[in-house]
Amino acid sequence: MRQTPLRDAYDNHGAKVVDFHGWALPVQFAGIIQEHQHTRSKAGLFDCSHMGEFVLKGESALAALDRLVFSDMRTLRVGLCRYSAILNEKAGIIDDCVALRLDDETLYLVTNAGPLDVVNDLLSGAEGVTNVSDETAKIDLQGPLARDILLQLGFEALRSMKYWNGAAMKWEGHNIVVTRAGYTGEVGYEIFVPNEAAIPLWERLAAHPDVAPCGLGARDTLRTEVGYPLNGEDLALDKTPLESGMARLINWNKEFVGKAALVAQRDEGTHTVLTAIKTDSRRAPRHGFEIKHDGQVVGQVTSGTFGPSLGFGVGLADLPQHLAEPGTALTAGPKDLPIVTATLPVYQEGTCRKKFDA
Amino acid sequence: MNPDTLRYTEEHEWIGELNGQYVVGITEYAQSQLGDITYVELPDAEREVEAGEEVAVVESVKAASDIYAPVSGKVTETNDALEDNPELINKDPLGEGWFFKLDGIDPTELDALMDVSAYRTYVESCG
Repeated sequence: MRQTPLRDAYDNHGAKVVDFHGWALPVQFAGIIQEHQHTRSKAGLFDCSHMGEFVLKGESALAALDRLVFSDMRTLRVGLCRYSAILNEKAGIIDDCVALRLDDETLYLVTNAGPLDVVNDLLSGAEGVTNVSDETAKIDLQGPLARDILLQLGFEALRSMKYWNGAAMKWEGHNIVVTRAGYTGEVGYEIFVPNEAAIPLWERLAAHPDVAPCGLGARDTLRTEVGYPLNGEDLALDKTPLESGMARLINWNKEFVGKAALVAQRDEGTHTVLTAIKTDSRRAPRHGFEIKHDGQVVGQVTSGTFGPSLGFGVGLADLPQHLAEPGTALTAGPKDLPIVTATLPVYQEGTCRKKFDA
Repeated sequence: MNPDTLRYTEEHEWIGELNGQYVVGITEYAQSQLGDITYVELPDAEREVEAGEEVAVVESVKAASDIYAPVSGKVTETNDALEDNPELINKDPLGEGWFFKLDGIDPTELDALMDVSAYRTYVESCG
């Protein structure tokens, strides 16, 4: 298994390590629910160094990305992030990604670990594309106190940073990139640092009394409560953006790989939709559960867990449009667990959009 | 319960005698493997169960698991506190986290289960 530059650091914190897409990553430290609650109330620290990062500099690099995604990356203003997805010719999702415009000619692209080799092959032929994944560590600090903590540690440039913005900056002499984004629904930052700065930054953050290291388990319960999709679970090569909750993000006025297939699907209009579901008990729907309506299989659960902040089960599911209306009663799994469709986000107390006085 | 006096199954349930009744739960190893337990479904009282029969369900954040009757018998009582506080199983699997009590069991069935030293060897082989 591959190891991130932080492996030695979190081993000291009692991590239980698992194989995630070929990476040795912590699934939990103190316990999934405790980490989850800590992130919702204070701040959780996550190692996401397995993820991919690319620097795209100049016109051909920008064009190489732009033709792969359904968003117009040319209009992305300096300092802003944009969420999008890289598609194949059938409009299937290879990967979802976030691009940050660093300056007039530079984009910073963040991708997932699983499809990184495929994405690299698609992008790397173009001039000005640099895959910096191997030399970059990604550390997320997420939670309502994340901003205060980073300001205390000298990240002054974050004082005025708004949700879904980002910038390059210096930390202890290192060139780093920070976005105010995340995967938890809380105020949070994703911090991209050179490998040699990873352990110093992690230890500095982990030593703060309001910070707890968190693993993939809490990351999954946190994101599921707010309905953020996970590539490989909710997003897949055989599903399109229209089937994956991305309909309103698609820019139909530009060209991109897979557009013809996506237009055909849109015009036909009978595709399934990714829909929030919940239970009325502590029982959880699980990935792969078949969903039934009047005894007929009508869809499947793509993500599901007990929601520690909700007190009931929560998840995402592929459903036909006529059954996706919030409040539709269905059953899931071999024991016909009662579920009901819901409005996103199911957990509504998330602080991620909070505005701060500069 | 004192772990030294209990009997154990390969599915990591324990059974032990307490005041003339037989109490059933899951082991420390089982709870640590499951992680945070979020839901428990217990058998109905008075239910007659066969050894190896699926009698309860445990869900953790990670997964759902079935719990089997370690021996045949009749369920006399269930630990209803687990319904609202399933985390008791994580905190005290051999004590407050017990699942149910069995009556009318055949003691020779107990002898077929692992004792504590056999179970410890078995857990080591589970990794």
